[in-house]
Amino acid sequence: MSDARHEPVRTMATGATILRYRGVTKRYGNFEALAGVDLDVHAGEVVCLIGPSGSGKSTLLRCTNGLESIADGVIEFEGTVLPRDERMLRAVRQRMGMVFQSFELFPHLTARENVAEGPRTVLRMNTTDAGRRADAMLAKVGLADKAANHPAALSGGQQQRVAIARALAMEPDVMLFDEPTSALDPETIGEVLNVMKALADEGMTMVVVTHEMSFARRVGDWVAVFDAGRIVEQGPPQQIFDAPTTERTRDFLGHLGWTG
Amino acid sequence: MTFDWSVVWQHRDALGQATGMTVLLTVATMFIAVPCGIAVAVLRLYAWKPVGVLATAYVELFRNLPLILVVYWAFYVLPILTGLGLSPLATGVTALALNVTAYNAETFRAGINSIRRGQTEAAMALGMSRAQALRRVVVPQALRRILPVLASTWVSLFKDTSLVSVIAVSELAYVAMQIRAQSYRVLEMLTAMAVIYWLLGYPQAKLVDWMQRRFAVTE
Repeated sequence: MSDARHEPVRTMATGATILRYRGVTKRYGNFEALAGVDLDVHAGEVVCLIGPSGSGKSTLLRCTNGLESIADGVIEFEGTVLPRDERMLRAVRQRMGMVFQSFELFPHLTARENVAEGPRTVLRMNTTDAGRRADAMLAKVGLADKAANHPAALSGGQQQRVAIARALAMEPDVMLFDEPTSALDPETIGEVLNVMKALADEGMTMVVVTHEMSFARRVGDWVAVFDAGRIVEQGPPQQIFDAPTTERTRDFLGHLGWTG
Repeated sequence: MTFDWSVVWQHRDALGQATGMTVLLTVATMFIAVPCGIAVAVLRLYAWKPVGVLATAYVELFRNLPLILVVYWAFYVLPILTGLGLSPLATGVTALALNVTAYNAETFRAGINSIRRGQTEAAMALGMSRAQALRRVVVPQALRRILPVLASTWVSLFKDTSLVSVIAVSELAYVAMQIRAQSYRVLEMLTAMAVIYWLLGYPQAKLVDWMQRRFAVTE
């Protein structure tokens, strides 16, 4: 490990450190999915993880809430090292909302029931209160009128907004988005990004794995560029998109046809 | 050859009661074999390895033994093993439940495996335990998906209850055979039996088809 990696990776901090990654390493057999990742996420920040497919962005997100375990390094959440014990991990996951590329709404439940499920089962809230919270969250993502619909009766964009409401219903301290718009039709991407932008404006701390460069630029406070399991460059969006300092970043953005 | 259908009418009470017994056997067996099937499937999938192996051994044993053998076994061996003097009805239900639980366990296992991993992950990301994710998210979906299979198991079971006639449980097959033996009206009694089994079995199959459409989950 080089010393450079352990230097402060951030010059400007906006708030308390919510997530702190140091030397995070993840292996699948011989394949190193994460090869020593250092990153900080501060309260109220939107951190966007970009880079080619298979570069480790999603893996880092999945390690963050313990869906995957790491081989080496540390992940700290709100000043505490992420526990390995399943029971303790559950308490941590309650405070992290996660949104998946493929929505993963529960198809046997209505939109309201989907959103109420976490508060009911995990927070042991009664049905009335959980339903009320679900309605409030659905209203927040603009889907109050779809509360009684099953996921199959919703468009992809609407399903993803319900999934965001479901995560918000746990009142998390940080939201993790794993390519939230990659499975969507182009015409519904905007509605999901708008909901995410509104969340960011409210001050929600967010880690977003995305291929939407304009979102990363417009909404992101900090952008990390991944390649082959490493962060090859990180900085404010202006730096990454207008004056990238590494060849890898320029290559990646060039492949996307990014012109600034 | 002459037919005397009056024998059927003459024994209508006995046949009616026997039909009731057949229905009771089916319902009681399924009542046991559905929760037990889920339990065995969950043990096979998630339990500590030695327990999982035991569950697998149970399934493979009872799925591959002829049901009639299990019925005889339950009748002759079970009282010696357990020291209990079970009634023929209880013995019959035990034998049927042992067999159907094994089949249901396989059905549930396939159903649970068919629900994609992301569903469990989404549940766990909310802070649910693996058990909660199973109970609230995976099993309800698996149940809906395997309803047609459970339905055909149900209809098979309804007919297979006739096998417990060999241990003198007074269900439809046993009683019809008794009447046949007393009256010598073989063809009439066999026909009556066929008609009763069919008339009861067919609507059940249709009902379950309807339930399947009603509760179908589309993704």
